[in-house]
Amino acid sequence: MSSNIIEISHLSKYYGRSRGIEDISLNVEQGEFFGFIGPNGAGKSTTIRILLNLIFPSSGSARMFGLDVLKDSKKIRSRMGYVPSDANLYDKMKVHEFLRFGAAFYGRDKSEDRIRELAGIFDLNLERRITELSTGNKKKVNIIQALVHQPDLLILDEPTTGLDPLIQSRLFSLLIEEHKKGATVFFSSHILSEVQALCRRVAIVKEGRIVKSDEISVLREKQLKKVKIMFADEGASENLQIPGMASVIAGSPKTLEFMFSGDVNELISRLSGLRLENLSIEEPPLEEIFLHYYR
Amino acid sequence: MELRRNARSLIIWSVIICALIFFTMSLFRSVLQFQQQIMGMAKIVPMAAMKARGFGNISDIFSGLGFYAANNLVYMMLLGSIYSMVLSSNILLKEEYGKTAEYLMSRPVSRDEIFSSKSALVLLYITFLNIAAAVVGLLSLAIFNSGDHNLRPFLVITLYTFLLNLMFASLGFTVASLVKSARPVTFFCVGLIMVFYFIFTISRITGVNGDFGYISPFKWVNVNVLDPSYGIELWRIGLFALLCLVLILAARFVYKKKDILT
Repeated sequence: MSSNIIEISHLSKYYGRSRGIEDISLNVEQGEFFGFIGPNGAGKSTTIRILLNLIFPSSGSARMFGLDVLKDSKKIRSRMGYVPSDANLYDKMKVHEFLRFGAAFYGRDKSEDRIRELAGIFDLNLERRITELSTGNKKKVNIIQALVHQPDLLILDEPTTGLDPLIQSRLFSLLIEEHKKGATVFFSSHILSEVQALCRRVAIVKEGRIVKSDEISVLREKQLKKVKIMFADEGASENLQIPGMASVIAGSPKTLEFMFSGDVNELISRLSGLRLENLSIEEPPLEEIFLHYYR
Repeated sequence: MELRRNARSLIIWSVIICALIFFTMSLFRSVLQFQQQIMGMAKIVPMAAMKARGFGNISDIFSGLGFYAANNLVYMMLLGSIYSMVLSSNILLKEEYGKTAEYLMSRPVSRDEIFSSKSALVLLYITFLNIAAAVVGLLSLAIFNSGDHNLRPFLVITLYTFLLNLMFASLGFTVASLVKSARPVTFFCVGLIMVFYFIFTISRITGVNGDFGYISPFKWVNVNVLDPSYGIELWRIGLFALLCLVLILAARFVYKKKDILT
């Protein structure tokens, strides 16, 4: 039996003529902390909404827990928790009432204790009405409702939007704790620092397509280098062409900074005929890898 | 929870419609008192206007049941249908335009279950409204009509009105399931019912009894309660039942395949 919790195969979605996602394929293994990154409009939420069976794919298929997302969505949802990026709650209810209402779908006896525990962590007043809550507090309610029933899979779509740094930090600690207990986490965000801090593997989405999917460490160590050259002579950087040189970050008559995906030996060999003042080759942060794919 | 969310509007609509029925029926004794003057006025008021108001003949005004049926046409057949269609369309759509669909549909609940529970609630609400209106109608007839109380035509028109309301509720579900953008369709529903009502009224005024009038579901209700042969006609019941079934099944089918865009 497959150990993949999420299996997406050639998934596409079009809204009339406009593109949602195109030919997305990815797997998320059981117990994995997976990052799904891309800017707004890249297709992250569309992918998630297909997984939740809120929308239907134009082509392709998706399975979760080995079950088809179209045929077995109810069973799938009983094992997962979802934090939407921007969803309203039932305004007229009190927070406590709303959370109990949500927990009742899962039939958990111990939800009351769990609700109070999570409300304590997020410093949320359970007696207030939803309509009285700020954006950040509504987000806290959304996070708590996804965690109350202790799901096997957590899907989070931009979960930190509206949260202050302290609460963000508590959320990350809680997610790490849930992950340690065995939960699989699918973390969608455009904030790269938080993905880098939490996830082992990421998929980068651009204009509806996955442009890269790998472990963060692999992306940083093997795939791309950030090269910074300071030349002794002015104009030396002009017309310099090295195989694997991509995404020039900065350049001047005496300096050149770029992302490099080629052979380091070839790079050194090409530079050997030039007089250099300095040369640095670094592993780039995720943000620069991300920008490389977006240039 | 859903029951509570919509209870307020049900109570408001029920109170308004029941109050309208009661207060209009309270005018019946005055109508009888001024029978001569009304007959005189009827000579200068075009019959078309009387028919548009729901009176088949001028003499209908002087029968308690005829007076009630004319009012029922406006209050329960028209207003009740507007309430039914607006309720059913909004009960499905408001999860989308209120942006709560994403929350609800991420719970372990199927679309079939959501649709069924919302349909059951609409049925319950429309039944409540119709029973409340019928009880107030019966009471007001008992209080203000001193003539014969023939219960049978009253029950028959109440049944037809209930089926008409259910038919429009089913149509509301179909419209809601077909609408792609997440926004309320209240104006569309009211407009559609007014068009059907207008067609029905035109067909009454002009006396056209052919196919034209039957475009409107209002025409499927036999409102001639004073006709001695007035009773349940199976084809009318069957037509309403069939249409309700077809519309509900179509709505359910489309809703299950619908992209929920919020």
